Amino acid sequence: MFYRESGDFKTSYVQDQQIFPILQDRVFVAVVIAFAFLVVPFLINDYWEKSVLLPVLIWSLAAIGLNILTGYCGQVSLGTGGFMAVGAYASYKFTTAFPELNLFIVVLLSGGVTAMVGILFGLPSLRIKGFYLAVATLASQFFLVWLFNKVPWFYNYSASGQINAPERLIAGITITGPNAPPWATYLFCLIFVVVLALIAKNLTRGRFGRSWMAIRDMDIAAEIIGVAPLKAKLSAFSISSFYIGIAGALFFLVYLGAVEPTEAFGIDKSFLVLFMIIIGGLGSILGSFIGAAFMFLMPVLIKNIMVNGLGWSPDIVAHLIFMIVGGLIMFFLIVEPHGLAQLWRIAKEKLRLWPFPH
Amino acid sequence: MQDTVREDDILLEVRNISLSFGGVTALENISFDIRRGEVRAIIGPNGAGKSSMLNVINGFYHPQEGEIWFDGKLRHHMKPHQVARLGIARTFQNIALFKGMSTLDNLMTGRLINMHANLFSQVAWIGPAQREEIEHRQKVEEIIDFLKIQSIRKTPVGKLPYGMQKRVELGRALAAESKLLLLDEPMAGMNLEEKEDMCRFVLDVNEQFGTTIALIEHDMGVVMDISNRVVVLDYGKKLADSSPDEVRNNPEVIDAYLGVSHD
Repeated sequence: MFYRESGDFKTSYVQDQQIFPILQDRVFVAVVIAFAFLVVPFLINDYWEKSVLLPVLIWSLAAIGLNILTGYCGQVSLGTGGFMAVGAYASYKFTTAFPELNLFIVVLLSGGVTAMVGILFGLPSLRIKGFYLAVATLASQFFLVWLFNKVPWFYNYSASGQINAPERLIAGITITGPNAPPWATYLFCLIFVVVLALIAKNLTRGRFGRSWMAIRDMDIAAEIIGVAPLKAKLSAFSISSFYIGIAGALFFLVYLGAVEPTEAFGIDKSFLVLFMIIIGGLGSILGSFIGAAFMFLMPVLIKNIMVNGLGWSPDIVAHLIFMIVGGLIMFFLIVEPHGLAQLWRIAKEKLRLWPFPH
Repeated sequence: MQDTVREDDILLEVRNISLSFGGVTALENISFDIRRGEVRAIIGPNGAGKSSMLNVINGFYHPQEGEIWFDGKLRHHMKPHQVARLGIARTFQNIALFKGMSTLDNLMTGRLINMHANLFSQVAWIGPAQREEIEHRQKVEEIIDFLKIQSIRKTPVGKLPYGMQKRVELGRALAAESKLLLLDEPMAGMNLEEKEDMCRFVLDVNEQFGTTIALIEHDMGVVMDISNRVVVLDYGKKLADSSPDEVRNNPEVIDAYLGVSHD
């Protein structure tokens, strides 16, 4: 019952090209998904929902989105916050304009709108690369946040300039608004994250993924074997933005409930998601989850230990968290520059031969 | 070789190609053809314009003058990925593999032009997407067997030794099942044994798959042994275009290689 690849023989290409080729991986993923759907909703309380599960799920989704663009297609983007804002505002406009519209559809439509915006801001990538592209996407970050501040139509002319998630129900269960039960919001997000993560896994191992990675690794060679750079880059931008837009919509609708664009979707969010995928592992869906969990949960964990466990004063701890998390980031980047997912990959390679490595 | 060639025997013909960058002339009024099923060598000293010629054929460079005829049709202004779809594949002088991907994925990427499953079946990995994936995997496995690279199927290509990387790159070009295969110094930097292997592969590709091959190579022994016809370039001009034996004894070619001054 050891975790290992050896002895797991494949006799057909179908078997060899499964989404999780290793038996134990399949079992593990199935158990985790079953646990998340069947057990967690019964245990969840307000604290776990708001402080741990929802944000980790939502940030994981944003990280998968950015990973598709940056990790798989090699186009650095600093516009994540702006694209999340597009998703949030699109969901707000949809759900206020069509209150009867099912919330699932609202969120998917918001993703669609963000994908369009993503294509628009992805156009410069056809001409510029690397750091220069990062700067160009930075423009989208500032422009979009500015737009949502300045044009009252986006926030329905509310006096505060904020947007608030109205209460919406699916099949009689409240999903948004202050009265939504923790298990309902959690399940709502979980469905999106699980389905979209599996889709990302499928996309990245097929035709699309290969054309993205080809562009990332060697764009000239990619062109010579028939990858159209225009299609590959813009499809990466649109699918990535679709994910990020959905993350933004969920962030606003079920997590925050009320949003002020500069604060909720500022440049710090763009960096946060970028750090998540760098720490977690570029070009890895698993890494997106690990990175999001690491960047978000590490401060929560340290705070819990120091404030609740050791009884230190919260304001000192707040400063210490910055230092410790910063130190940990450096530590992990030095130990494994390819991210935490790479550590797992190496472990897997070692386990292939263990316990007889020679 | 001297008998008259029928018009449709010619796979690719370049006519009066001139290419310059600013004031520098890279190619000057070059014409030659590549016949179906032959191994055509392009040789010349460094800076002669050989790689530029390949880049013109590939669509990376667009010549100021001249015409390119491929498969009996005049080719208009085309981007490299469109040229790939016409049926021209290529390897590079410096290895241009996708380093983060496995050998298998590199070869599968070579088949991208033949894959068409749409986004929605890709998303669910069912129907056309999965069928297509299996079908192309079979083709790729044939190439893996042909090149004897079974053992490195799942290894990331960045970890492979140089000679193997060259072989994988050939495999990727083969995977496209193109009509014309351009090889830019396929044996550069190899030891004798690797060169012999590579020569065998090139000849086998030519004979078994019937692929037309154009190669640039500096190793004259290799060129003379495996090519049917040789075109010689020097300083962007065509010096000679004939059989290997004639080229070997052409005084102008010998001068170009030994470095007689140009007046």
